Amino acid sequence: MRIEVVLRYIGVVFIIISSFLFISFLLALLWQENTWILFLYSTLIALVLGFFPVIFVPKTDYLTTLEGVFIVVTGWISICILGMLPYILWGGEFSLINAWFESVSGFTTTGSSILQDVEALPKSLLFWRSSTHWLGGIGVIIYAILILPQSGSARLILMGSEFSNLAKSNFQYRTREIAKILVFVYFGLTLLETLALTLLGMSLFDAVNHTFATVATGGFSTRNASIAAFDNVGIEICIMIFMVLSGIHFGLIYNTIVRKKGNLFDSTLVRAYLAFIIVGIGFVSLKLFWSGSFESFGQSLRYGSFQVISLATTTGFASADSSVWPDFTQFILIYFTIQCAMAGSTSGGLKFDRVWIFFKSFGRQIKLLQHPRGVFTVKIDGKVIDDNLEVHTLVFIIFYILIIFVSTLILTTYDIDIRTAFSAAAATIGNVGPGFGKVSSLGNFSDIPAFGKFVLAANMLLGRLEIFGIISLFFRKTWW
Amino acid sequence: MKSKILLGFLLIIVMLIIAGTMSIIEFIRISNSVGGLLKNNYKSIEAAKTMIESLEREDSGILLNLTGHKKEGNGIIQSADSAFSKAFLIASNNVTEENEQDIINEINSVYNDYKQGWEMLYKDDTVRCNTEVYFEGHHMKFLECKQIVHSLLNLNQSAMYHSATDLKERSQRSVMPGIVAIVSALVFLLMFNFFITIYLFGPFKRIIKGLKGHQYDKGDFDPQTPLRDEFRELDTEIKQLSNRLRNLNKNN
Repeated sequence: MRIEVVLRYIGVVFIIISSFLFISFLLALLWQENTWILFLYSTLIALVLGFFPVIFVPKTDYLTTLEGVFIVVTGWISICILGMLPYILWGGEFSLINAWFESVSGFTTTGSSILQDVEALPKSLLFWRSSTHWLGGIGVIIYAILILPQSGSARLILMGSEFSNLAKSNFQYRTREIAKILVFVYFGLTLLETLALTLLGMSLFDAVNHTFATVATGGFSTRNASIAAFDNVGIEICIMIFMVLSGIHFGLIYNTIVRKKGNLFDSTLVRAYLAFIIVGIGFVSLKLFWSGSFESFGQSLRYGSFQVISLATTTGFASADSSVWPDFTQFILIYFTIQCAMAGSTSGGLKFDRVWIFFKSFGRQIKLLQHPRGVFTVKIDGKVIDDNLEVHTLVFIIFYILIIFVSTLILTTYDIDIRTAFSAAAATIGNVGPGFGKVSSLGNFSDIPAFGKFVLAANMLLGRLEIFGIISLFFRKTWW
Repeated sequence: MKSKILLGFLLIIVMLIIAGTMSIIEFIRISNSVGGLLKNNYKSIEAAKTMIESLEREDSGILLNLTGHKKEGNGIIQSADSAFSKAFLIASNNVTEENEQDIINEINSVYNDYKQGWEMLYKDDTVRCNTEVYFEGHHMKFLECKQIVHSLLNLNQSAMYHSATDLKERSQRSVMPGIVAIVSALVFLLMFNFFITIYLFGPFKRIIKGLKGHQYDKGDFDPQTPLRDEFRELDTEIKQLSNRLRNLNKNN
């Protein structure tokens, strides 16, 4: 393991982060806010710690797989620490653990917040908060791949560590091409949504911040009441469309729109993912209407569909307080919190692809019981899923559920009710954001004890880094 | 290598200067806040308290007048009025909060109205106050005036509370840059030390290994020492020394 090479790559990421800190500094000056000094300070620290290893360590033409994993995992942890700086320098509600929680939540695009009064924060700090989503959404490492004039092998290993295995199997391009696709789709969605939200009546500031949170499937809002604060059907529909697009494999969007090669609905996974969402919306809306939660079916559909899409895409925005909805609807929403969005999007967590493979594997086992001598395979879009990938997926799902249970257990030791504890654990590892109970869509995580926040922040990182990457760091063989 | 090490030291100096400057700026802000806290709000709070006390004394004076103790009553009213006027002057010269000027103007207007009512009591000895006049006139105006002075007191107390909260946050902010600077400098120093170990001492190790590894007695005068920077120069010098030794060996 060449630690100096790892430091060089993290240095590049720090330089990228420093550019957004600098933009926040300029905005603070523009809006005449006293946050300019803390952004200037954070920018300088990021630049010093970033440029020094880049200058000191010579360029490297190759990376080992282990170094790739190490760069990605330590890179994420390092940027979360760097992202804390503006928060802890600002003070207020940001104690050390709160700043860590907010920063991890931002970069992992989770969207859980400890803030009780978001609107009390200066605009430049809110912009930084949304920027962490945007930066985290695409994966800072991918930027580094595009910017660094490195050889192909170095790029490939970083991409392999950063991107979910499932996502890679769908991309049929070279690494540089994949990075280009991601950036193209990401920038395209960002521009389009900002424009649409501005036209629908949002201020440019709100539009940019909410766009950052939507395309990154994050969920940080500039308002205490999230999207409910705007009470605008047009804005809600626009955000719903972009939430769905951001939850779909970016390569498929690129193929459909840019390359005119097939369409999104050719993919079984996309069809199944959308079908799950539509069924979820149907159940939630009907129950809301029958239970009298809303006066008309139209209103039930409006609020029900927004909440289902928000959680199914791991975004976490809210247009209503779903914690007061009937238990049946909350149960469906918890299912979507666990399921998460598609691999190849900006979302983290379990991912729908794994859920689909799980259902397919289940079907295969039933067939094997019926025909013990038969040979059956799991296929998606006509392609046979490798046995290793199937086993990996099932082990991942079991481990994922285990982490949710262990986190719930830890939270309940602090006398947190089971609904709050379980939903908080599921929402953080799924990078969704809000849960139910005290951490509902219009609530926050401020009441969770410090150690509980630490556990939930760890969940966010596990969800973002696909569990095994981060766990491998704790084994001695990873280091030597 | 020399320039990189120099750059490292320069960056440490820059970080320390930034941390120091930021802490100084925050400490100046704190001292300004403390000054503002005392100057802006404390004076007005004390003045409002004096005005309330004066108003209550004036009310007592009127009651004494009502019960027939005209001389004592008038004396209390006059001294209380003087105290009120002094306090009012302090408050009106220390307008620092939004809407405070409006409250001062209202106090002035209501108090003058109140004063006109009881001035006749001590200016004209034949005028006697009765219960009806007191409860419907003097006492109602006294309560009205007291309520407005209370609003001045509340405004300044609330502003003082906010300033104190702000001060608490500022003191935290003045500590944080120092802590952040120390932690960042430590991280930087660890990194710097690591790089020096790798790029400064690493080549020495390679030179020693190369020199130990080669065998002069078997005629090998080209020790392998893969190096960069100034160490390459040292490597070249060693190789030249080897060549000279080889030539010397051949000549012998």
